[in-house]
Formats: sequence, C-alpha cells, structure tokens
Amino acid sequence: MAAITPYTYIQCPCSDSSTLGRSSDTNSSRADGADDDDDRTFDPRAPRSNYSLYPLEYLLYCEDCHQIRCPRCVAEEIVTYYCPNCLFEVPSSNLKSEGNRCTRSCFQCPICIGPLAVTSVETKPDPSLLAAPDNTAAPQSGPYALTCSYCNWSSTEVGIKFDKPNGIHAQLSKLRNGGTARLTAKERKERRRDPSYRSSAATEQGDGRSGSDEKLDLETQFANLKSFYQSQLADPNASDGGLAALSDLGFSSPTSLSRIMSIYTGGSLHDKKAKLRVGAIREALEVDEGLQLADLDESAAIAQLHSEGHDGTASTSRLSDQPPNFGEAHLHGRSRFVSELRPIPYLLRTKRSKRCPVCRHIISKPEAKVQTTRFRIRLVAGSYIPSIAIRPLSLSSGSGTSASGSAGIPGALLEPLKPAHYLLTFTNPIFESIKVTLGAPAKTPGRFASKVTVLCPEFEIDANTDVWDEALKDPSGAGELRDRERERERRRHKGEEGGNVSNNNNQLEVGKIWERGRNWVSIVVEVVPAWLRLEHGTEEQRLREDEDLLEIPMFVRVEWEAEAVGDEVGAVVGRDKEAREKRELAYWCVLGLGRIRH
Amino acid sequence: MSLRRPPRGEYIETDTGNKVARKATLVGTQNIMLGGKTVIQPEVMIRGDLVRTIQASSQSGATPNSTAVAIGRYCFLSRGCCLRPPGRLYKGAFTYMPLRMGDHVFVGPGSVVQAASIGSHVHIGAKVVIGEFAIIKDYVRILDGTVVPPNMVIPNFSIVAGQPARLIGEVPEGGHEAFELRDLYKTVGNNPQPAPS
Amino acid sequence: MSSKRHSILPPVSSSGPKPPVHFSSSITIADSALLTGTHPIAIHSESVVHPRAKLDSLAGRITIGRRCIIHERSTLGAVGTSGKITEAAVTLGDYVTVEVGAAIEAGETVIGEGTVVGVGARVGAGAVVGKHCTLTPHSEIAAGEVVPDLTVVYSNGMRRTDKREVAELKNKGIARQIDVLRRMIPSNPAKFA
Repeated sequence: MAAITPYTYIQCPCSDSSTLGRSSDTNSSRADGADDDDDRTFDPRAPRSNYSLYPLEYLLYCEDCHQIRCPRCVAEEIVTYYCPNCLFEVPSSNLKSEGNRCTRSCFQCPICIGPLAVTSVETKPDPSLLAAPDNTAAPQSGPYALTCSYCNWSSTEVGIKFDKPNGIHAQLSKLRNGGTARLTAKERKERRRDPSYRSSAATEQGDGRSGSDEKLDLETQFANLKSFYQSQLADPNASDGGLAALSDLGFSSPTSLSRIMSIYTGGSLHDKKAKLRVGAIREALEVDEGLQLADLDESAAIAQLHSEGHDGTASTSRLSDQPPNFGEAHLHGRSRFVSELRPIPYLLRTKRSKRCPVCRHIISKPEAKVQTTRFRIRLVAGSYIPSIAIRPLSLSSGSGTSASGSAGIPGALLEPLKPAHYLLTFTNPIFESIKVTLGAPAKTPGRFASKVTVLCPEFEIDANTDVWDEALKDPSGAGELRDRERERERRRHKGEEGGNVSNNNNQLEVGKIWERGRNWVSIVVEVVPAWLRLEHGTEEQRLREDEDLLEIPMFVRVEWEAEAVGDEVGAVVGRDKEAREKRELAYWCVLGLGRIRH
Repeated sequence: MSLRRPPRGEYIETDTGNKVARKATLVGTQNIMLGGKTVIQPEVMIRGDLVRTIQASSQSGATPNSTAVAIGRYCFLSRGCCLRPPGRLYKGAFTYMPLRMGDHVFVGPGSVVQAASIGSHVHIGAKVVIGEFAIIKDYVRILDGTVVPPNMVIPNFSIVAGQPARLIGEVPEGGHEAFELRDLYKTVGNNPQPAPS
Repeated sequence: MSSKRHSILPPVSSSGPKPPVHFSSSITIADSALLTGTHPIAIHSESVVHPRAKLDSLAGRITIGRRCIIHERSTLGAVGTSGKITEAAVTLGDYVTVEVGAAIEAGETVIGEGTVVGVGARVGAGAVVGKHCTLTPHSEIAAGEVVPDLTVVYSNGMRRTDKREVAELKNKGIARQIDVLRRMIPSNPAKFA
C-alpha cells in the first residue's frame, strides 16, 4: 500500500446528473432533481465518480459559459499530425494514403518498443585490434539494419537488411521477412500485364506444378481477387446476351438470386434456370485470379514451437503493436513467433485544439508548428478557480510549530478515531477578490464514515495583483528582492502568530481563518478518521479496495464581482460601463487526505 | 579556497546566482557552463572532462567549442544525480558530444543523464536513466525509475515511464506552470527560504 | 568559485585499509577512484577506471581484465548479502564495461568477456554472467545466478539472446573509447601503489 500525498480532484459539471438532462425533459427532471440535488452529497467512491474527477491542471474553462470543462467533455480537433521520433509534420493528405504511421525511417523495436537506429552492417573487422586504433574510417557503406540500442534486437534477426540508410519505410515495405522482395502494387500490375511473366508462369504449370503453389502475399491476393471479380461482374454482359437487360444489376440481379436459390433448394429450380447458370459468377480458379490454396502444413510452426517454447511466441501486446504484415501470406499478416516480428513504424502523434461542448468556442488551441510549445488559446481552469493545497497540520508539539506542520510527515497513515487537522490553502488566481463558501458533509459517504468539520466554511480571498507579482519575479531588481523577503518575513510572522494563538487555546477557533496572504487564505479542516471495522462483525468482511482512503467531498462555491463585459447576447441592453456584475461558480471537489491505519 | 563567508555554508553561491554544493563533484569545471540560478545539490556529479574530441567537419575552421555540459537557468540537480556527455563512434573514432540542457530542468535524486539535449521545463524523476543521445524536448515529465533508451526522442508535452520508456500520457494545458523552478531555487542554499504555501 | 580550478572534487572518506594492487603499466586510473580492502586488486592492460569508481577487495580478490571500462560511481566487490570472504570476490573478463552506478557484489562473481553492465544494474554475489551479455540499466541479477552467453536482460528482467554477432565490432568500439579516455582522464596509478 503506497503512501499518498494529499490531493484535490475537481468534478467537472459535465457528469452532473442534474445538468445531463436534455432540454426536452428538463421540466420533469428538474422537478425531482431540484430537491434531490440539495441533499445529495457527491460520493467520491461512486463508480461514476472515477470518470468525472480531475486534478485542476487537467481542467479547462469556458469563458463564455463560465463553466469548468474537462478532457472528457471537450470536443477535440486535430491541428497537426507529427511523428514523435523525427518530429516532422505529416500533412493530412498523406495520412489518407499512408496511414497514421511515420513513413520516413522511424521505427520501434518489436521486442521492447525502444527506438531503432539505422546502423551499417559492417563486415568483420580485421583482428589486429590492439595494434592500430585509427587505421580505418569505419565503412559507412554496405547494407544497413535497424537495431535497438536498448535490447539489442536487429532487423537482421528477421533477415531484413537495407541498401540505403534513408527511406527505410519504403524499403521495408518492399521486403518480406528473410529479405526476399515483395512486389508493390504497381509492380504487380506491370507483372500481370507482362507477357513474359505469364509465359513463365505457364511453363511452371507445364512442369506439373500447379501455379497455385506460388505464395501470394495478402495484398497481391486481394488485388488479384478484386480484379477477377470485377471482370466477372462485367463478363455476364458479354457471354450472356439474352439477359443483357438484367446483367448490369450484378449481384442483386435475379440471375444471381436464382443461382443462390438453386444452391439451397437442391436444384429444384435447376431445370428452369439451367440456362442462366452459364453466365453465373464462378469462383477464382487460378493464381492470377487470386486463388490461394490454404497452407495446412504447420509442421514448421510446430517444430519451432518445440524448439523455442513459450518464450518464442509473440505476446498479444507485441502483436497488437505490430502493423499488419501483409508481406507474409499466413495468418493474415499476423505473426506467431517473436522471430517473425517486424519493426514497428512509429504511430503519429497529434496536437489538438479543444472546444467547449456547449457553446463550441475554442478553449485551447496550440500553435500548429510541431516544435513550438506556445498556445494561441489556453483557457485553463487554474487561472479562473482557486487552487486548493492540502497540508497536514500538527498542533500537538507546543514549541513554536509554525503552520508548516513539521510533525505531519507527508504520506503518514491516519490514526483511526484520532482527530487530525489539515490546512487547506486556497489561492485566488483572478484579479477580483472572491468570496468562498465551502460545504462538506459532516460524515464522509461510504461504509466507514469519518467525521469532517470545516472550521471556517466562509471567507474572502483578496485579488491576485499580478503586477506586483511580476515585479517580484523579476530577478534583476535587488530592491525588489528585499521587498519580497520582507513580505515573506511578514508572512512567516503572521503564521507564527496564528500558531501561537491556537497553541495557547489549544483549540482551533471556529469561524476563523488560520492564515491569510496576498491572494491566499488558509483554513483548517478537522477530521476524525473512521474505525475501519464493521460493527456487526460476524462475517469478517474484508476491506474493499481504497476503502481506507480518506476522501472528503466538498462543495465549493465561489462568488465575485466582475466588470460587466456585456455578454455577446446581452450586449444590446445598454449596460453601464461601470456596472459590476455578480458571478458565481460552484462545483464539487474531493480532498484526498491520506490512508487510515487498519 | 575563497573565504567569502566566515561560516562556510553548504553551498558556493556564484555571482550569477548558481548554488553549487561543496559536496558536489564537478570534474572539468572549465567545460561546464551554468546559465545562472541553477542549484547543484550535494553528491551530484558532472563530467565536464568528457569533452568533445572531434569537431564537426563543417566548423573545423572555427574555434573549437570545448563545452561538455551546458546547463540553462533555474535548473535543479538533486542529490546524487549524474550528468555526463554522451559518447559514440563518429567516422571511425570515438568522441564525446556535449550535453545541453535548457531552463527549468529538474533532475531527480540518483538519476543518470547522458542525453544529447534536454529542452526547457523538463521534470526528470528519481532514479531515472536517460540513455546516450536521447533528445528530450520541452514540458516533458519523466516518472521515477524510467529508463529512457539511447537515441530516443521525447516530443513536447509527453509523460513517459517504464523500462524502456514509453509514452503514458500528455502534460495537460493547465500543467505548464508546475514545471517552474523559481520557487524551488529559493528553498535551497546557505539561507534557504521556506517553500511558499 | 574560481574559474581556474580544474575540478571540484570534495574529499572522500578513504577509510579502510589500502589494498595491494597489481596494475598493468598501460591502465588509466583516475586519481579519485576508490580502492579499499585487504585482498589484492589486479587491473590488466589498457583498462580504464573513472573517477569515483569504487573497488572493494575486503571480501576477496578483484580482477579486472584487459580493456575494461569501469565508470564513475560503480562498485566492484560490494559486500553483498552473504558477507563471506572468498578467494576471488569479483572477476571481470576482457572488454567488460561497468556503467555509472552499477554494483557488482563480492563472492566469486564473474562477468564474462565483452559484457556490459548497464547504469545502476546490480549483479548479486556469486552470479556468473556469460560473455557478451547486456544488462540494461537497473537490471538485477540475483545472487548465484548463471546468465548464459549473449543474454540481454531488459525491461525488468526479461531475457533474450543477442543475435547481432557484433562482438568484435563492439570490442573495437571499446578500444576507440579507451583511446579517448586515456587522453582525458589524468591517470595516477602511483597513488594506489
């Protein structure tokens, strides 16, 4: 059981059942939902919660809807495709023709998924190593191979070598395992037309070996079959003039229908339709037509299995990483053995912009260039809603414990039934002062209810004065540095004061802020962790997963006054420039404090 | 040994704000460039002596650049980590190549970095191994215990983990600020300040 | 920080006895390498010991073959779980590379020719690693384990066989690397004599 550091997850409103209702049934759902909603405590353990809770960094914010948006509800649009290895942008037109993989020389190891490097397969160096260190410049020519610098896999293991060190993807697509050439679609076409090849195929047949013995790879076979059936569809026209009127209907024609019927009715229609069957589509009979005899001889595979054992077989995860290998005829391009796995061309990555699902405004848009990290639009929730930092607070040790809570070792287990205190620090990111109202259930939901008391559920946080902040961050000014130190001193002093007060009373005052700073406020939450034993313990029910995790659901309501910007819709109403309008944002969040000892 | 401060602090603080622990091992300091405001904790090792021996043919006329390790601003090298330039055979001879690091790079305790380049705003966890000639771009998070294989390229906004490293997630839009190391810089040195709440 | 100083090398506590050494005249050993123990330490021709590498012969003899590279912070002869004193604590064949922070425990441990012990890898006491093996970073070889020749240990203990047949090429690369290191690392074998 790993110790955890305290965390805050925020619920995106998209999963809120009360807002899920479609506009058509709002009335009905509102009626029941309204009173439901007031009592309902968000349960962080509910199965649904898994999908709605996010750390603040993952959330975006729609300025038009004034609402939090999460990765699950935003609509993504791809801005740029690029290869994560060579970082080249791939135009979307290429994507259609080449698939979503890098077509340059970027490959992953089929064994360990590490990157593969093109290395020259050098001829063996002369053994006089010790004598001359710099007698030769390493031959930078000769065949090349893809090698993994992590697990030492090499494409020579599947018999693949390359002539050139670049354009590996194109070269690889022409190579079958073992190094034999594979025809491209164009070459296949040419070959099919080529009379010399046809004649050679004919002589092969003359040798008594059936032409269908030749192994076709899947792509060739498919191409052959396709052209064959296309010719078949066209053929009946010519051969069966009597049915010309119907023939162009192809498969859906009565001709075909009757043929199928005759198959299933055992020839009862045979007499009548006998004539039609002449023009019926026949199956492929030759290699040229795409006939491929199934290779049922698996003795080689069995022998390999015998010699290599289970370790020699490729795992499903490795197979799923493999792009379909059309070069090999068997197993429909899938490999069975580790020794058959081919280099994996890198899957492309994307840069994506995000839209608000409701108003369709773009809330995040990265710059299109692959290498830049800038964003054109980046409305992150962190700059609109207060962040909540959690720190254990220890009050036990009397002597000058500052607010940092030295005794609270992060990740320490919580003692059951022993009150523990946590400091929640809310930091206001916006330029207006905000009023925060917190609501938390007195007892956490679930089988083991821990008691929760928010000592100060209502407070105000001053505005984030960004100008001042920037001045502080400027590293050049020494005077400013002093200012900063002074402020820090002041803060620390204040903190001690707060600490002393509480220590003297040995009790935390309800309704009082623990500490406050420029744009932040710390308050205290007291928890009494539950005793993790069931009362009626006849059947020693085991603790379910994460039931020892103390998570507090908390409802946060933030109110502030903002300059009335005059929404696009309401702009017609001539609002006063000076007018301030009240804004409000409310959401559930979950404070994960730690695990309870059991 | 300079005796700037009567009570010798744990760190040597330079004019440009670098804080170098006295117990750090920097070999070949003349080849180590620090951009300023960089923290080097005790037991860190930087191999500045492994300098490039073969200059790229294109710039043979120019003055040879002898920087072995270049570190930007606000980098934080945690206790026990090790930076060393990557080396390889180049035109038949072996040479080391410089290790370059941008700004706001955090290197976790016990990690060994032999990358060719590390961008800015990169977080490298504890006990990470970064293989030779890896290229790590900006806003990348490498989780604890990761082994980044040699020559791997990690694009912007990646979160990687595992042995060997694989992409496990993307840094969210709201997570950029977490890479800032200005505040961390203040928490160490001879008069450290507490981390802001 | 004066720019004139060549290096910042804080003193290391060189506690423990000074071991008898048998160095070939062609080795390169950094001044700040750490040699301790009571049993002999032998380093054969053209091997390189980086700064802050630690060779501990307390639990037995340490032998390093020809053209080995022992990187910084690696430990040869760390007293492992057994703690026994054996005749030969650690024996490295020729062309062995022990990378940064790797640890090879003492106790008849053998690393075969051309093997690379990756960054932070651990080889337990009494393990016998074959020739031309690759232990990727953070790999662990249990005490007493026998690893066949050409084994690659990767991804948390997965094993496979290296079929590249590049042993000679690799050795050549090591030789080149040693050429460079000899010029870079100021050698001070006299310190340990």
